[in-house]
Amino acid sequence: MTLLKISNLQLSMKSYEGETPILHGIDLTIKRGEVWGMVGETGSGKSLTGLSISRLIPTPPGRYLAGSIEFQGIDVLKATDREMRALRGRHLGMIFQDPTTNLNPAFRIGTQLVDVALHAGHADPSVLGLSPGASRRQFKDAARQTAIDMLGKVGIPNASERINDYPHQFSGGMRQRVLIAMAMIGKPDLLIADEPTTALDVSVQAQVLRLIHELVAERNIGVLLITHNLGVVAQICTHVAVMYCGRILEAGAVHDVLKRPSHSYTRALLDSVPTVHTKRGELRGLGDLQPEALA
Amino acid sequence: MSLDIRNVTKVFPGPRRGFFAKSEGFTALDDVSLTVKKGASFGLVGESGSGKTTLTRCILRLENLTSGSILFDGADIHRLPPQEMRRLRSRLQIVFQDPYASLDPRMTIHDIVAEPLVIHSDSVNMTARQRTERVVELLLQVGLRSEHLFRYPHEFSGGQRQRIGIARALAVGPELLILDEPTSALDVSVQAEVLNLLHRLQTELGLTYFFISHDLGVIRYICDEVAVIYRGKLVEQGQVAEIFDFPKSEYTRMLLDAMPDPDPDRSPFRRAG
Ligand SMILES: Nc1ncnc2c1ncn2[C@@H]1O[C@H](COP(=O)(O)OP(=O)(O)OP(=O)(O)O)[C@@H](O)[C@H]1O
Ligand SMILES: Nc1ncnc2c1ncn2[C@@H]1O[C@H](COP(=O)(O)OP(=O)(O)OP(=O)(O)O)[C@@H](O)[C@H]1O
Ligand SMILES: [Mg+2]
Ligand SMILES: [Mg+2]
Repeated sequence: MTLLKISNLQLSMKSYEGETPILHGIDLTIKRGEVWGMVGETGSGKSLTGLSISRLIPTPPGRYLAGSIEFQGIDVLKATDREMRALRGRHLGMIFQDPTTNLNPAFRIGTQLVDVALHAGHADPSVLGLSPGASRRQFKDAARQTAIDMLGKVGIPNASERINDYPHQFSGGMRQRVLIAMAMIGKPDLLIADEPTTALDVSVQAQVLRLIHELVAERNIGVLLITHNLGVVAQICTHVAVMYCGRILEAGAVHDVLKRPSHSYTRALLDSVPTVHTKRGELRGLGDLQPEALA
Repeated sequence: MSLDIRNVTKVFPGPRRGFFAKSEGFTALDDVSLTVKKGASFGLVGESGSGKTTLTRCILRLENLTSGSILFDGADIHRLPPQEMRRLRSRLQIVFQDPYASLDPRMTIHDIVAEPLVIHSDSVNMTARQRTERVVELLLQVGLRSEHLFRYPHEFSGGQRQRIGIARALAVGPELLILDEPTSALDVSVQAEVLNLLHRLQTELGLTYFFISHDLGVIRYICDEVAVIYRGKLVEQGQVAEIFDFPKSEYTRMLLDAMPDPDPDRSPFRRAG
């Protein structure tokens, strides 16, 4: 079943130098049970694609020149603010690349998680294991318990105590895990995760990947995972889209793209991963691949 | 130049449990000792929350030490008078872990990269025009363009911001660069470029790196020596090749095993079909 269908999405952004086209016609369809990896050049428009799905790009400076985004039958670019608020945090879970947009340094971790849980719970009480008639007290207690459980699930030890900490008392990776917990609380149908494991070490990363994998297996959700890590893509993605300069260069089943890349850029990406045998200074990068050859 | 970390312990005060209840502190660094040699790249790996950033903050004197000392060229950083500390700071620069939080959103890229040149104007001594030229040169060095000069940080992608941070750190021509996860926000091709850039700068300028990363592949590629930190304690340190090929501790072995393989056939998650 199709969850998300992006068609010919074209976006431009205004800045000091004037209006620059950023997305040049993105097409992407995500079905339930699919985990899509999105990889590609920094600045190629991956985050702006993710943010567009949740309609979080302010217009202006952004402007959609053409295209549409359909999520569970809703035309996202035309939906009301109210409809969008109901989607976010419940049907649409998001982990942003920019952690400062998610955690408020002035509030305790727990307060912020409980808020998200309450928001999701009011949209759908079953998220907190409650029935619609539950009392205020029950909501509060369940939200708190859910917050602690999720924090534990993402691997924060002593979750019930650390929930009282402020963000600055957490390390970078721990803050990232709080954001993952936040995005998962609403049991979303589509999870958009923008570099969710970048700040994490390999062992916690493995834990988070397992968590996402379980979510897909249990609840048959769809995932859009934006990442630079081809290892992560190889591990949990079913499909992958390779972006360059506002375009998807190639997309398809993960085996096809990673094992038999049809595009020289994808090959260059694969060659850029340092392995045990790479000598210093010899990492390939894009090498002599000309940007013009890619457009 | 050398950096000597000697028996450094850092305890953060624990959460207040009430008016009179004293709570135990949290030991973020526990008797850490290591030496970064001139012209070398020293890598620090360890899981999230193990104390890596705390150690860099201690080196920069953004945190006080509970005990131990940090010597830069033999001088005890935490005992230097402010004037000398300022001088030393221009020889020691950092690229921060989080490219979002570390750039002032109200400053243009030009001002962000030029700021260290202004702060250290007593030792750098440049006209405004020379500063701008230097900024352009730095932006080109890290793969950005001069048109970007008057943009603000929010107008850049994560990876672009990280490069701005690197340009800024290089501005005053430091001897020691502390790099806290400098490439984790970059795509692998740009990471490759930045790593090669760092390698080139090192040979050209004789820089010394203190390099923090979760990515063991990156550490192996760029570093000569590595220390593995676990919950504030160093579990092993030595030559990169040695530690990676013959890890002594269970923890290092686990880290190596947990590295995700870019071959989809070797995924532990992949379901049949
Ligand atoms: N607010 C903005 N105003 C103007 N340009 C912007 C703005 N935000 C992003 N851009 C530009 O849009 C392009 C795409 O940015 P985006 O954040 O989507 O990249 P990305 O693919 O996520 O990169 P990364 O991998 O580095 O995170 C970049 O070139 C960036 O400079
Ligand atoms: N100001 C503080 N007050 C209390 N505890 C703190 C403070 N700063 C850091 N800590 C704690 O110290 C420990 C080490 O944090 P640090 O930021 O050094 O980790 P890290 O190794 O850099 O992790 P990451 O890889 O996730 O960035 C963490 O458990 C963190 O919660
Ligand atoms: Mg991005
Ligand atoms: Mg850190």
